[in-house]
Amino acid sequence: MAAIGDDVFFATIPELNARLKAREFSAEELARAFLERLQQLGPRYNALALPLPQEAIRAAKEVDKDFKRERLRGPLQGIPYGVKDLLAFAGQPTTWGAKPYAGQVFDFNATVIQKLAGVGAVLTGKLSMVELAGGGGYRFPSASLTGPGLNPWDRTRWSGGSSSGSGAAVAAGLVPFAIGSETSGSILTPAAFCGVTALRPTYGLVSRYGAMALSWTLDKLGPFARSAEDCGLILQVIAGKDGKDPGSAGKSFYYTPQYARAVKDLKIGFAPADFAEWAEPNTRPAFSAAMDALKAGGVQFVETKLPGFPYGQTLSTILNGEMASIFEPLIASGKVDELADKPQIAGLKAALELPAKDYLKAMRIRRLIQEEISKLFAQVDVLVAPARAAIASKLDQPLDRGAGGPPPKDPGFRPIIPLGNLAGLPALALPCGFADNMPVALQLVGLPFSENTLLALGRDFQSRTDWHKRRPPV
Amino acid sequence: MKLTRRKLAAVVAGAAATSVPAQAVPQTAASDDDLKTARDRMRANAAALANQNVPMATEPAFQFKA
Repeated sequence: MAAIGDDVFFATIPELNARLKAREFSAEELARAFLERLQQLGPRYNALALPLPQEAIRAAKEVDKDFKRERLRGPLQGIPYGVKDLLAFAGQPTTWGAKPYAGQVFDFNATVIQKLAGVGAVLTGKLSMVELAGGGGYRFPSASLTGPGLNPWDRTRWSGGSSSGSGAAVAAGLVPFAIGSETSGSILTPAAFCGVTALRPTYGLVSRYGAMALSWTLDKLGPFARSAEDCGLILQVIAGKDGKDPGSAGKSFYYTPQYARAVKDLKIGFAPADFAEWAEPNTRPAFSAAMDALKAGGVQFVETKLPGFPYGQTLSTILNGEMASIFEPLIASGKVDELADKPQIAGLKAALELPAKDYLKAMRIRRLIQEEISKLFAQVDVLVAPARAAIASKLDQPLDRGAGGPPPKDPGFRPIIPLGNLAGLPALALPCGFADNMPVALQLVGLPFSENTLLALGRDFQSRTDWHKRRPPV
Repeated sequence: MKLTRRKLAAVVAGAAATSVPAQAVPQTAASDDDLKTARDRMRANAAALANQNVPMATEPAFQFKA
Protein backbone atom coordinates (compact mmCIF):
# COMPACT_ATOMS: atom_id res chain seq x y z
CA MET A 1 0.00 0.00 0.00
CA ALA A 2 1.20 3.52 -0.74
CA ALA A 3 2.25 5.49 2.31
CA ILE A 4 -0.82 7.34 3.57
CA GLY A 5 0.08 9.79 6.28
CA ASP A 6 -1.60 12.45 8.37
CA ASP A 7 -1.52 14.92 5.52
CA VAL A 8 -3.98 12.68 3.67
CA PHE A 9 -6.33 12.37 6.64
CA PHE A 10 -6.61 16.15 6.79
CA ALA A 11 -6.54 16.89 3.05
CA THR A 12 -9.32 18.73 1.26
CA ILE A 13 -11.46 17.09 -1.40
CA PRO A 14 -9.61 18.72 -4.37
CA GLU A 15 -6.27 17.64 -2.84
CA LEU A 16 -7.42 14.03 -2.42
CA ASN A 17 -8.98 13.98 -5.86
CA ALA A 18 -5.76 15.24 -7.47
CA ARG A 19 -3.69 12.58 -5.68
CA LEU A 20 -6.14 9.83 -6.69
CA LYS A 21 -6.02 10.93 -10.31
CA ALA A 22 -2.22 11.10 -10.14
CA ARG A 23 -2.29 7.44 -8.94
CA GLU A 24 -0.35 8.29 -5.78
CA PHE A 25 -2.69 5.78 -4.17
CA SER A 26 -5.78 3.90 -5.29
CA ALA A 27 -9.32 4.53 -4.09
CA GLU A 28 -9.17 1.14 -2.36
CA GLU A 29 -5.98 2.06 -0.51
CA LEU A 30 -7.49 5.37 0.50
CA ALA A 31 -10.69 3.69 1.70
CA ARG A 32 -8.73 1.09 3.68
CA ALA A 33 -6.61 3.77 5.35
CA PHE A 34 -9.65 5.82 6.37
CA LEU A 35 -11.56 2.71 7.47
CA GLU A 36 -8.72 1.64 9.72
CA ARG A 37 -8.52 5.10 11.25
CA LEU A 38 -12.30 5.37 11.65
CA GLN A 39 -12.54 1.99 13.38
CA GLN A 40 -9.51 2.63 15.55
CA LEU A 41 -10.24 6.20 16.63
CA GLY A 42 -14.00 6.50 16.14
CA PRO A 43 -14.81 4.81 19.48
CA ARG A 44 -12.31 7.12 21.19
CA TYR A 45 -14.72 9.99 20.51
CA ASN A 46 -17.94 7.93 20.58
CA ALA A 47 -18.25 9.09 16.99
CA LEU A 48 -18.79 5.78 15.23
CA ALA A 49 -22.22 4.15 15.05
CA LEU A 50 -21.42 1.49 12.44
CA PRO A 51 -18.38 0.87 10.21
CA LEU A 52 -19.12 -0.32 6.69
CA PRO A 53 -15.84 -1.95 5.59
CA GLN A 54 -17.17 -4.50 3.12
CA GLU A 55 -19.46 -2.04 1.37
CA ALA A 56 -16.74 0.63 1.29
CA ILE A 57 -14.06 -1.64 -0.17
CA ARG A 58 -16.49 -2.93 -2.79
CA ALA A 59 -17.39 0.64 -3.79
CA ALA A 60 -13.74 1.75 -3.82
CA LYS A 61 -12.78 -1.13 -6.13
CA GLU A 62 -15.48 0.01 -8.56
CA VAL A 63 -14.02 3.52 -8.44
CA ASP A 64 -10.57 2.15 -9.26
CA LYS A 65 -12.03 0.35 -12.28
CA ASP A 66 -13.57 3.64 -13.38
CA PHE A 67 -10.27 5.49 -12.94
CA LYS A 68 -8.58 2.80 -15.03
CA ARG A 69 -11.12 3.35 -17.82
CA GLU A 70 -10.79 7.11 -17.33
CA ARG A 71 -14.46 7.37 -16.44
CA LEU A 72 -14.16 10.47 -14.30
CA ARG A 73 -17.19 11.44 -12.26
CA GLY A 74 -16.13 14.62 -10.51
CA PRO A 75 -14.13 15.69 -7.46
CA LEU A 76 -15.88 13.38 -4.99
CA GLN A 77 -14.95 10.23 -6.90
CA GLY A 78 -13.13 7.87 -4.56
CA ILE A 79 -13.46 10.18 -1.54
CA PRO A 80 -14.47 8.36 1.68
CA TYR A 81 -17.20 9.88 3.82
CA GLY A 82 -19.56 9.19 6.72
CA VAL A 83 -23.23 9.90 7.39
CA LYS A 84 -25.15 10.70 10.53
CA ASP A 85 -26.96 7.55 11.62
CA LEU A 86 -30.35 8.94 10.72
CA LEU A 87 -29.89 8.20 7.03
CA ALA A 88 -31.13 4.91 5.62
CA PHE A 89 -28.49 2.65 4.08
CA ALA A 90 -30.03 -0.52 2.67
CA GLY A 91 -29.54 -3.70 4.65
CA GLN A 92 -27.66 -2.09 7.54
CA PRO A 93 -28.94 -0.80 10.87
CA THR A 94 -30.11 2.81 11.08
CA THR A 95 -30.55 3.49 14.77
CA TRP A 96 -31.40 7.20 14.86
CA GLY A 97 -29.09 7.17 17.88
CA ALA A 98 -31.85 5.71 20.03
CA LYS A 99 -32.24 2.38 21.79
CA PRO A 100 -35.85 1.76 20.66
CA TYR A 101 -34.60 1.79 17.05
CA ALA A 102 -31.35 -0.14 17.59
CA GLY A 103 -32.46 -2.99 15.34
CA GLN A 104 -34.06 -0.89 12.62
CA VAL A 105 -33.02 -1.86 9.06
CA PHE A 106 -34.30 -0.23 5.86
CA ASP A 107 -34.23 -1.82 2.42
CA PHE A 108 -33.45 1.37 0.52
CA ASN A 109 -30.86 4.13 0.49
CA ALA A 110 -31.45 7.75 1.43
CA THR A 111 -31.37 10.03 -1.60
CA VAL A 112 -28.17 11.78 -0.48
CA ILE A 113 -26.38 8.43 -0.16
CA GLN A 114 -27.66 7.44 -3.59
CA LYS A 115 -26.46 10.71 -5.10
CA LEU A 116 -23.03 10.42 -3.50
CA ALA A 117 -22.73 6.82 -4.72
CA GLY A 118 -23.56 8.08 -8.19
CA VAL A 119 -20.41 10.22 -8.29
CA GLY A 120 -18.21 7.54 -6.74
CA ALA A 121 -17.95 8.80 -3.15
CA VAL A 122 -17.23 5.90 -0.76
CA LEU A 123 -19.37 5.52 2.35
CA THR A 124 -17.14 4.15 5.14
CA GLY A 125 -19.48 4.37 8.13
CA LYS A 126 -22.51 5.64 9.97
CA LEU A 127 -21.72 8.32 12.56
CA SER A 128 -23.21 8.74 16.00
CA MET A 129 -25.84 11.28 16.97
CA VAL A 130 -27.97 12.47 19.86
CA GLU A 131 -30.98 10.15 20.18
CA LEU A 132 -33.79 11.18 17.83
CA ALA A 133 -31.74 14.29 17.04
CA GLY A 134 -32.64 15.61 20.47
CA GLY A 135 -36.08 16.91 19.56
CA GLY A 136 -37.56 16.29 22.99
CA GLY A 137 -34.97 18.50 24.65
CA TYR A 138 -32.09 16.69 26.37
CA ARG A 139 -30.18 17.69 29.47
CA PHE A 140 -26.85 15.88 29.04
CA PRO A 141 -24.55 14.95 26.14
CA SER A 142 -24.99 11.31 27.19
CA ALA A 143 -28.40 11.32 25.45
CA SER A 144 -27.21 8.90 22.80
CA LEU A 145 -27.08 5.18 22.10
CA THR A 146 -23.30 5.46 21.64
CA GLY A 147 -22.61 7.59 24.70
CA PRO A 148 -21.76 11.29 24.78
CA GLY A 149 -20.02 12.72 21.75
CA LEU A 150 -16.45 13.47 22.86
CA ASN A 151 -14.67 16.48 21.43
CA PRO A 152 -11.39 15.67 19.61
CA TRP A 153 -9.89 18.90 21.00
CA ASP A 154 -10.61 17.87 24.59
CA ARG A 155 -12.33 14.60 25.40
CA THR A 156 -13.74 16.00 28.63
CA ARG A 157 -15.90 18.29 26.51
CA TRP A 158 -18.88 17.65 24.24
CA SER A 159 -18.58 17.46 20.46
CA GLY A 160 -21.95 19.18 20.12
CA GLY A 161 -25.26 17.88 18.89
CA SER A 162 -27.16 16.48 17.46
CA SER A 163 -24.73 15.68 14.60
CA SER A 164 -22.07 14.78 17.19
CA GLY A 165 -20.26 12.09 15.21
CA SER A 166 -20.25 14.09 11.98
CA GLY A 167 -18.46 17.01 13.66
CA ALA A 168 -16.00 14.88 15.63
CA ALA A 169 -15.15 12.50 12.78
CA VAL A 170 -14.27 15.31 10.38
CA ALA A 171 -12.30 17.19 13.06
CA ALA A 172 -10.26 14.09 13.96
CA GLY A 173 -9.52 13.20 10.33
CA LEU A 174 -11.58 9.99 10.43
CA VAL A 175 -13.42 10.97 7.24
CA PRO A 176 -12.73 13.77 4.74
CA PHE A 177 -16.37 14.84 4.94
CA ALA A 178 -19.64 13.86 6.56
CA ILE A 179 -23.35 14.47 6.20
CA GLY A 180 -25.31 15.77 9.18
CA SER A 181 -28.72 17.26 9.76
CA GLU A 182 -30.16 20.36 11.36
CA THR A 183 -33.61 21.12 12.69
CA SER A 184 -32.36 23.94 14.91
CA GLY A 185 -28.60 24.15 15.45
CA SER A 186 -27.57 20.51 14.92
CA ILE A 187 -25.10 21.30 12.12
CA LEU A 188 -23.83 24.67 13.35
CA THR A 189 -23.21 23.58 16.95
CA PRO A 190 -20.97 20.53 16.37
CA ALA A 191 -19.17 22.39 13.57
CA ALA A 192 -18.41 25.27 15.95
CA PHE A 193 -17.43 23.05 18.87
CA CYS A 194 -15.20 20.76 16.76
CA GLY A 195 -13.64 23.46 14.57
CA VAL A 196 -14.79 22.28 11.15
CA THR A 197 -16.50 24.03 8.27
CA ALA A 198 -20.14 23.07 7.72
CA LEU A 199 -23.11 24.23 5.72
CA ARG A 200 -26.78 24.25 6.64
CA PRO A 201 -28.44 24.49 3.22
CA THR A 202 -31.63 26.34 2.38
CA TYR A 203 -34.72 24.36 3.41
CA GLY A 204 -35.75 22.09 0.54
CA LEU A 205 -32.48 22.26 -1.40
CA VAL A 206 -31.28 18.82 -0.27
CA SER A 207 -33.68 15.87 -0.29
CA ARG A 208 -34.43 14.32 3.09
CA TYR A 209 -35.84 11.12 1.63
CA GLY A 210 -34.55 8.29 3.79
CA ALA A 211 -33.68 10.57 6.70
CA MET A 212 -35.39 10.35 10.08
CA ALA A 213 -38.09 13.00 10.25
CA LEU A 214 -38.09 15.17 13.35
CA SER A 215 -39.92 18.17 11.91
CA TRP A 216 -41.12 18.12 8.30
CA THR A 217 -40.95 21.89 7.95
CA LEU A 218 -37.59 22.40 9.67
CA ASP A 219 -35.31 19.43 8.87
CA LYS A 220 -32.32 19.96 6.55
CA LEU A 221 -29.30 17.82 5.59
CA GLY A 222 -25.88 19.37 5.02
CA PRO A 223 -22.13 18.74 4.78
CA PHE A 224 -19.31 18.92 7.33
CA ALA A 225 -15.92 19.30 5.65
CA ARG A 226 -12.44 20.87 5.69
CA SER A 227 -13.27 24.10 3.89
CA ALA A 228 -16.00 26.24 2.38
CA GLU A 229 -14.91 25.01 -1.04
CA ASP A 230 -15.36 21.38 0.02
CA CYS A 231 -18.87 22.21 1.27
CA GLY A 232 -19.68 23.71 -2.14
CA LEU A 233 -18.43 20.64 -3.99
CA ILE A 234 -20.49 18.33 -1.76
CA LEU A 235 -23.61 20.47 -1.93
CA GLN A 236 -23.44 20.44 -5.73
CA VAL A 237 -23.82 16.65 -5.59
CA ILE A 238 -26.43 16.26 -2.86
CA ALA A 239 -28.72 19.17 -3.83
CA GLY A 240 -31.54 18.85 -6.32
CA LYS A 241 -35.16 18.07 -6.94
CA ASP A 242 -36.55 14.88 -5.44
CA GLY A 243 -40.14 13.83 -5.92
CA LYS A 244 -39.78 11.54 -2.91
CA ASP A 245 -39.33 14.51 -0.56
CA PRO A 246 -42.52 16.62 -0.32
CA GLY A 247 -40.40 19.52 0.98
CA SER A 248 -38.08 19.50 -2.03
CA ALA A 249 -37.69 22.97 -3.50
CA GLY A 250 -37.12 21.48 -6.94
CA LYS A 251 -33.87 23.39 -7.38
CA SER A 252 -30.34 22.31 -8.22
CA PHE A 253 -27.13 23.87 -6.97
CA TYR A 254 -24.01 24.53 -9.01
CA TYR A 255 -20.95 25.59 -7.09
CA THR A 256 -19.78 28.61 -9.04
CA PRO A 257 -17.68 30.84 -6.79
CA GLN A 258 -16.22 32.49 -9.88
CA TYR A 259 -19.63 34.02 -10.62
CA ALA A 260 -20.48 35.07 -7.06
CA ARG A 261 -20.63 38.75 -6.24
CA ALA A 262 -17.30 40.32 -5.35
CA VAL A 263 -16.75 40.17 -1.60
CA LYS A 264 -16.04 43.89 -1.45
CA ASP A 265 -19.54 44.55 -2.78
CA LEU A 266 -21.22 42.66 0.06
CA LYS A 267 -22.99 44.36 2.92
CA ILE A 268 -22.78 42.32 6.10
CA GLY A 269 -25.20 42.89 8.95
CA PHE A 270 -23.92 42.40 12.47
CA ALA A 271 -24.93 43.25 16.04
CA PRO A 272 -22.17 44.60 18.30
CA ALA A 273 -23.84 43.06 21.36
CA ASP A 274 -23.19 39.57 19.99
CA PHE A 275 -19.45 40.09 20.21
CA ALA A 276 -19.18 42.50 23.14
CA GLU A 277 -21.85 41.14 25.49
CA TRP A 278 -23.27 37.75 24.51
CA ALA A 279 -20.00 36.05 23.57
CA GLU A 280 -18.27 34.57 26.61
CA PRO A 281 -15.35 36.81 27.65
CA ASN A 282 -12.71 34.18 26.76
CA THR A 283 -13.98 34.02 23.16
CA ARG A 284 -14.07 37.76 22.50
CA PRO A 285 -10.44 38.20 21.36
CA ALA A 286 -10.89 35.42 18.78
CA PHE A 287 -14.16 36.87 17.49
CA SER A 288 -12.66 40.34 17.33
CA ALA A 289 -9.71 39.11 15.25
CA ALA A 290 -12.08 37.13 13.02
CA MET A 291 -14.22 40.18 12.32
CA ASP A 292 -11.03 42.07 11.40
CA ALA A 293 -10.08 39.26 9.01
CA LEU A 294 -13.55 39.39 7.45
CA LYS A 295 -13.26 43.16 7.12
CA ALA A 296 -9.87 42.80 5.41
CA GLY A 297 -11.69 41.26 2.43
CA GLY A 298 -13.30 44.64 1.83
CA VAL A 299 -16.86 43.87 2.98
CA GLN A 300 -19.00 46.65 4.35
CA PHE A 301 -20.29 46.09 7.87
CA VAL A 302 -23.75 47.42 8.68
CA GLU A 303 -25.06 47.51 12.25
CA THR A 304 -28.35 45.64 12.09
CA LYS A 305 -31.27 44.84 14.40
CA LEU A 306 -33.47 41.78 14.07
CA PRO A 307 -37.24 42.26 14.03
CA GLY A 308 -38.74 41.42 17.42
CA PHE A 309 -40.44 38.02 17.47
CA PRO A 310 -40.58 35.12 19.94
CA TYR A 311 -38.27 33.10 17.68
CA GLY A 312 -37.29 30.37 20.12
CA GLN A 313 -40.82 29.79 21.38
CA THR A 314 -42.20 29.73 17.84
CA LEU A 315 -39.67 27.16 16.73
CA SER A 316 -40.18 25.01 19.83
CA THR A 317 -43.93 24.99 19.33
CA ILE A 318 -43.68 23.95 15.68
CA LEU A 319 -41.08 21.32 16.52
CA ASN A 320 -43.18 19.95 19.38
CA GLY A 321 -46.28 19.69 17.21
CA GLU A 322 -44.59 17.91 14.31
CA MET A 323 -42.34 15.74 16.48
CA ALA A 324 -45.29 14.56 18.58
CA SER A 325 -47.15 13.44 15.49
CA ILE A 326 -44.09 11.69 14.03
CA PHE A 327 -43.20 9.85 17.24
CA GLU A 328 -46.72 9.23 18.54
CA PRO A 329 -46.36 5.45 18.01
CA LEU A 330 -43.12 5.44 20.03
CA ILE A 331 -44.69 7.43 22.84
CA ALA A 332 -47.97 5.47 22.85
CA SER A 333 -46.15 2.12 22.92
CA GLY A 334 -44.19 3.10 26.02
CA LYS A 335 -40.91 2.38 24.24
CA VAL A 336 -40.10 6.06 24.57
CA ASP A 337 -39.04 5.20 28.13
CA GLU A 338 -36.05 3.32 26.70
CA LEU A 339 -34.42 6.60 25.67
CA ALA A 340 -31.30 7.60 27.59
CA ASP A 341 -32.25 11.12 28.65
CA LYS A 342 -35.20 11.59 31.01
CA PRO A 343 -35.96 15.23 30.09
CA GLN A 344 -36.04 14.12 26.45
CA ILE A 345 -38.59 11.40 27.33
CA ALA A 346 -40.67 13.98 29.20
CA GLY A 347 -40.42 16.46 26.33
CA LEU A 348 -41.76 13.90 23.87
CA LYS A 349 -44.62 12.91 26.15
CA ALA A 350 -45.59 16.50 26.90
CA ALA A 351 -45.50 17.40 23.21
CA LEU A 352 -48.45 15.07 22.60
CA GLU A 353 -50.56 17.52 24.64
CA LEU A 354 -49.78 20.56 22.47
CA PRO A 355 -53.05 22.31 21.50
CA ALA A 356 -53.60 22.64 17.74
CA LYS A 357 -54.23 26.36 18.17
CA ASP A 358 -50.71 26.85 19.51
CA TYR A 359 -49.16 25.04 16.56
CA LEU A 360 -51.23 27.11 14.15
CA LYS A 361 -50.38 30.35 15.90
CA ALA A 362 -46.70 29.48 15.66
CA MET A 363 -47.01 28.73 11.95
CA ARG A 364 -48.76 32.07 11.43
CA ILE A 365 -46.03 33.90 13.32
CA ARG A 366 -43.56 32.04 11.18
CA ARG A 367 -45.17 33.59 8.10
CA LEU A 368 -44.68 37.05 9.59
CA ILE A 369 -41.06 36.22 10.43
CA GLN A 370 -40.37 35.17 6.85
CA GLU A 371 -41.87 38.41 5.53
CA GLU A 372 -39.86 40.58 7.91
CA ILE A 373 -36.62 38.71 7.25
CA SER A 374 -37.08 39.25 3.51
CA LYS A 375 -37.28 42.99 4.23
CA LEU A 376 -34.17 42.80 6.39
CA PHE A 377 -32.21 41.29 3.52
CA ALA A 378 -33.10 44.28 1.36
CA GLN A 379 -30.61 46.18 3.55
CA VAL A 380 -27.84 43.59 3.82
CA ASP A 381 -26.60 40.57 1.87
CA VAL A 382 -25.36 38.43 4.73
CA LEU A 383 -25.70 38.33 8.52
CA VAL A 384 -22.71 37.40 10.67
CA ALA A 385 -22.75 36.23 14.29
CA PRO A 386 -20.89 33.78 16.53
CA ALA A 387 -21.94 30.25 15.62
CA ARG A 388 -21.97 29.63 19.37
CA ALA A 389 -21.29 32.23 22.04
CA ALA A 390 -19.16 29.83 24.11
CA ILE A 391 -16.72 26.97 23.63
CA ALA A 392 -17.88 23.35 23.93
CA SER A 393 -19.34 22.59 27.33
CA LYS A 394 -17.98 20.02 29.79
CA LEU A 395 -19.63 16.60 29.55
CA ASP A 396 -21.21 16.78 32.98
CA GLN A 397 -22.57 20.29 32.49
CA PRO A 398 -26.36 20.35 32.04
CA LEU A 399 -27.21 21.70 28.59
CA ASP A 400 -30.32 23.48 29.83
CA ARG A 401 -28.29 25.48 32.34
CA GLY A 402 -28.33 29.21 31.68
CA ALA A 403 -25.15 31.25 31.29
CA GLY A 404 -25.72 32.72 34.74
CA GLY A 405 -26.29 36.36 35.60
CA PRO A 406 -28.75 38.72 33.96
CA PRO A 407 -28.79 38.58 30.16
CA PRO A 408 -27.65 41.65 28.19
CA LYS A 409 -30.47 44.09 27.37
CA ASP A 410 -29.66 44.17 23.67
CA PRO A 411 -30.68 40.79 22.17
CA GLY A 412 -28.32 41.29 19.22
CA PHE A 413 -28.61 38.28 16.88
CA ARG A 414 -29.03 35.94 19.84
CA PRO A 415 -32.03 34.13 18.24
CA ILE A 416 -30.32 33.74 14.85
CA ILE A 417 -30.37 29.92 14.98
CA PRO A 418 -34.16 29.59 15.48
CA LEU A 419 -34.70 32.55 13.14
CA GLY A 420 -32.57 31.00 10.39
CA ASN A 421 -34.31 27.66 10.72
CA LEU A 422 -37.81 29.13 10.83
CA ALA A 423 -37.14 31.09 7.65
CA GLY A 424 -35.29 28.22 5.98
CA LEU A 425 -32.13 30.30 5.53
CA PRO A 426 -28.73 28.80 4.63
CA ALA A 427 -25.85 29.22 7.07
CA LEU A 428 -22.13 28.53 6.88
CA ALA A 429 -20.08 27.77 10.01
CA LEU A 430 -16.47 28.95 9.72
CA PRO A 431 -13.78 28.12 12.31
CA CYS A 432 -12.37 31.49 13.36
CA GLY A 433 -9.99 30.99 16.27
CA PHE A 434 -9.53 29.42 19.68
CA ALA A 435 -10.40 30.18 23.29
CA ASP A 436 -8.76 28.08 26.02
CA ASN A 437 -7.47 25.80 23.24
CA MET A 438 -10.99 25.08 22.03
CA PRO A 439 -12.34 26.14 18.61
CA VAL A 440 -14.80 28.97 18.09
CA ALA A 441 -16.64 29.78 14.87
CA LEU A 442 -18.58 32.43 13.03
CA GLN A 443 -21.80 31.78 11.19
CA LEU A 444 -22.73 33.51 7.95
CA VAL A 445 -26.45 33.55 7.16
CA GLY A 446 -27.99 34.53 3.83
CA LEU A 447 -31.22 34.63 1.88
CA PRO A 448 -32.70 31.34 0.68
CA PHE A 449 -30.60 29.84 -2.13
CA SER A 450 -27.72 32.27 -1.61
CA GLU A 451 -25.27 29.43 -0.83
CA ASN A 452 -22.81 30.59 -3.51
CA THR A 453 -22.55 33.99 -1.84
CA LEU A 454 -21.92 32.46 1.59
CA LEU A 455 -19.40 29.99 0.19
CA ALA A 456 -17.54 32.70 -1.75
CA LEU A 457 -17.33 34.82 1.39
CA GLY A 458 -16.22 31.78 3.38
CA ARG A 459 -13.60 30.90 0.79
CA ASP A 460 -12.28 34.45 0.86
CA PHE A 461 -12.07 34.35 4.67
CA GLN A 462 -10.31 30.99 4.58
CA SER A 463 -7.81 32.25 1.99
CA ARG A 464 -6.60 34.75 4.60
CA THR A 465 -6.87 32.57 7.75
CA ASP A 466 -5.80 29.06 8.67
CA TRP A 467 -8.19 28.23 11.50
CA HIS A 468 -9.93 25.62 9.33
CA LYS A 469 -6.58 23.84 8.84
CA ARG A 470 -5.81 23.38 12.54
CA ARG A 471 -5.76 19.77 13.76
CA PRO A 472 -6.66 18.47 17.19
CA PRO A 473 -4.07 16.43 19.11
CA VAL A 474 -5.35 13.07 17.83
CA MET B 1 -19.08 -6.69 8.27
CA LYS B 2 -22.67 -7.88 8.02
CA LEU B 3 -24.56 -7.70 11.29
CA THR B 4 -27.83 -9.35 12.06
CA ARG B 5 -30.33 -7.29 14.03
CA ARG B 6 -29.84 -9.57 17.01
CA LYS B 7 -26.04 -9.19 16.90
CA LEU B 8 -26.31 -5.45 16.50
CA ALA B 9 -28.64 -5.13 19.48
CA ALA B 10 -26.08 -7.00 21.58
CA VAL B 11 -23.25 -4.82 20.32
CA VAL B 12 -24.98 -1.52 20.90
CA ALA B 13 -26.28 -2.52 24.30
CA GLY B 14 -22.68 -3.22 25.31
CA ALA B 15 -21.33 -0.10 23.63
CA ALA B 16 -23.84 2.16 25.29
CA ALA B 17 -22.89 0.84 28.67
CA THR B 18 -19.13 0.94 28.18
CA SER B 19 -18.46 3.93 25.99
CA VAL B 20 -19.55 6.51 28.52
CA PRO B 21 -16.34 8.13 29.76
CA ALA B 22 -15.31 8.21 33.35
CA GLN B 23 -16.72 11.67 34.05
CA ALA B 24 -19.66 11.49 36.38
CA VAL B 25 -22.95 12.32 34.75
CA PRO B 26 -25.41 13.63 37.32
CA GLN B 27 -28.56 11.63 37.85
CA THR B 28 -31.51 13.19 36.11
CA ALA B 29 -34.51 14.28 38.10
CA ALA B 30 -37.53 12.10 38.65
CA SER B 31 -39.74 11.60 35.62
CA ASP B 32 -42.75 13.45 37.10
CA ASP B 33 -40.63 16.53 37.68
CA ASP B 34 -39.30 16.35 34.13
CA LEU B 35 -42.82 16.07 32.76
CA LYS B 36 -43.92 19.09 34.79
CA THR B 37 -40.89 21.05 33.53
CA ALA B 38 -41.67 20.11 29.93
CA ARG B 39 -45.32 21.11 30.33
CA ASP B 40 -44.34 24.39 31.98
CA ARG B 41 -42.00 25.13 29.09
CA MET B 42 -44.82 24.52 26.61
CA ARG B 43 -47.12 26.78 28.59
CA ALA B 44 -44.45 29.50 28.60
CA ASN B 45 -44.08 29.11 24.85
CA ALA B 46 -47.84 29.45 24.41
CA ALA B 47 -47.87 32.58 26.56
CA ALA B 48 -45.12 34.16 24.44
CA LEU B 49 -47.02 33.32 21.25
CA ALA B 50 -50.23 34.74 22.71
CA ASN B 51 -48.49 38.09 23.20
CA GLN B 52 -47.58 38.26 19.53
CA ASN B 53 -50.12 40.17 17.50
CA VAL B 54 -50.94 38.36 14.26
CA PRO B 55 -53.18 40.02 11.62
CA MET B 56 -56.34 37.99 11.06
CA ALA B 57 -55.51 37.51 7.38
CA THR B 58 -52.16 35.87 8.12
CA GLU B 59 -52.24 32.26 7.02
CA PRO B 60 -50.03 29.61 8.59
CA ALA B 61 -46.81 28.80 6.75
CA PHE B 62 -48.22 25.55 5.37
CA GLN B 63 -46.68 24.33 2.15
CA PHE B 64 -43.62 25.88 3.67
CA LYS B 65 -41.09 27.05 1.11
CA ALA B 66 -37.98 28.98 1.96
